[in-house]
Amino acid sequence: MSRLDFSDPATLAALTDMLKAAGVDGLEITTPDTQVKLVVSSSGKAVIPSKAASAEPTSAATVKAPIAGLFHLAPPADREVFPRRVSADAVVGFIRIGHVLVPVIAGRAGLVTGQLAEQDALVGFGDPLFEIELHS
Amino acid sequence: MADDINEQASLFDTVLIANRGEIAARIQRACRELGLKTVAICSEADREASYGETTDTLLCVGPASATKSYLNRDAILLAARLTGAGAIHPGYGFLSENAAFSEAVENAGLVFIGPDAKSIATMGDKIAAKRTMIAAGVPCVPGPDTALPDDLETIERIAEDIGYPVIIKAAGGGGGRGMRVVHQPSALREAVTLTREEARQAFGSAALYIEKFLQHPRHIEIQVLCDTHGNAVWLGHRDCSMQRRHQKVVEEAPAPGIFEEIIRPVGLACVEACQLIGYRGVGTFEFLYEEGRFYFIEMNTRLQVEHPVTEMTSGIDIVQAQIKSAQGQHLELRQQDVVCTGHSFECRINAEDSDTFLPYAGVVTDVSWPKGEGIRIDTHIHKGYRVSPYYDSLIAKLIVHAPTRGEAMARMRNALAETHVNGISTNLPLLCALFEDAAFAEGETDIHYLEQWLTAWRAA
Repeated sequence: MSRLDFSDPATLAALTDMLKAAGVDGLEITTPDTQVKLVVSSSGKAVIPSKAASAEPTSAATVKAPIAGLFHLAPPADREVFPRRVSADAVVGFIRIGHVLVPVIAGRAGLVTGQLAEQDALVGFGDPLFEIELHS
Repeated sequence: MADDINEQASLFDTVLIANRGEIAARIQRACRELGLKTVAICSEADREASYGETTDTLLCVGPASATKSYLNRDAILLAARLTGAGAIHPGYGFLSENAAFSEAVENAGLVFIGPDAKSIATMGDKIAAKRTMIAAGVPCVPGPDTALPDDLETIERIAEDIGYPVIIKAAGGGGGRGMRVVHQPSALREAVTLTREEARQAFGSAALYIEKFLQHPRHIEIQVLCDTHGNAVWLGHRDCSMQRRHQKVVEEAPAPGIFEEIIRPVGLACVEACQLIGYRGVGTFEFLYEEGRFYFIEMNTRLQVEHPVTEMTSGIDIVQAQIKSAQGQHLELRQQDVVCTGHSFECRINAEDSDTFLPYAGVVTDVSWPKGEGIRIDTHIHKGYRVSPYYDSLIAKLIVHAPTRGEAMARMRNALAETHVNGISTNLPLLCALFEDAAFAEGETDIHYLEQWLTAWRAA
């Protein structure tokens, strides 16, 4: 597994999302050459749902393109079937570069509620592809 | 604007601009004027760049970290392939002087808008560059054109022959890194050992060379323009002596107080050197100038930040000429057609703390630029622009042109007074004060002057 790049805003945003989702106030990571401290403001804290609200999403996240290329949805049967539940390791789409298909992994378990890029569209690194509702 | 380059069928119709900031906007403008489509690439930190709105295609190639975006050769080549670009313009910095990138671009069947890998490699190796310059008759700093031997006693003899002070430099260094000045024989051994180790770690090669250290030189540059058919011209000279920690702050063209009969042979020797190595595109020969003599220090095989002052005095659009050369067009401009008129200054406006000079990140809450005859602004910032901490601090270049140096200084003083960048700290106060300085107004200050002036200015 490659090391996380803590100078990358996308990495920090993903970590912040995870903290919010988990209701954690802060996180400190120290590596031999980096020290990162993330503090979630009170307004960004996740709400612990009551029983009545247990089906409500606590937050949303986007699945982003891992590389520049042409966007393709995962298996035809899944196309435009929203919402649909996915696991964190589910392949939700592909980025095509020539004959190579790079899988797009959901990254988070939740409910895919929408598609943000058109089929066969040219997308750049980090462009949003799907919306996922996260449940606690 | 002179248009002395003939029209031929283009090799490409879309240019990918592998850079960011003001130079990305500048190259985009030149492409548009030539009727070429552009692909702008960006990192995640530059998604909101204004040139992204005016380009034909914008593609994010990686995260904010430059090594994963603007320095990521594979991602840039992939972007060119995905967008159908036929050529890549590297701008300055980043991959612009990377021989392996130039080669990779050409191996991918694309045009690299710059010299070939061999020219970049030759000029990137200071020893090979010096040998080439000597062969072409370009004056060089006294010192051997070979790498220093390992034997310290032999090095001591070489230094004695040159005469102290001497400077020890890493063959693969540049931009002020990997060099050490030695004023007396007793300090030589330690300086060689330290610089060699530094060179090994920073540049991957322990090769060093030694030269006479000039004490009060000026930094003078000669701009060249070459096609792929053996034609080359030089476009006049610039003075870039106003430097802080080897970073240029103000540039001007022409260099004041240097007579044409002294510099013309040097310019012609630069042209000859280009023809000798089969150089193509634009390039800059950098010299130290002291007591009426020029000493070659290095060649920059790319477009320079300060190219606008030469454009203003020569009337030649250097970026367009560079692109036309890459298209294989014949340079029809002859040396006798190059006529430089008036005087031009460029101020580099940096987002930096005015006390510490450290880069300053933040949001530009308001910005206003001067307008009028002989004033040019090259910038990518606007109201609401977020200055990123990830890249260099240059946010704009303010360029003026006027018939005389005195008039150009006056124009720059007024232009600076009318320039406002709010929300972030910049070096504008420093630039305003510098253009009030009597010694600078007199001209011919050396490369150490700004550091000394700053010490006094900050104490005042």
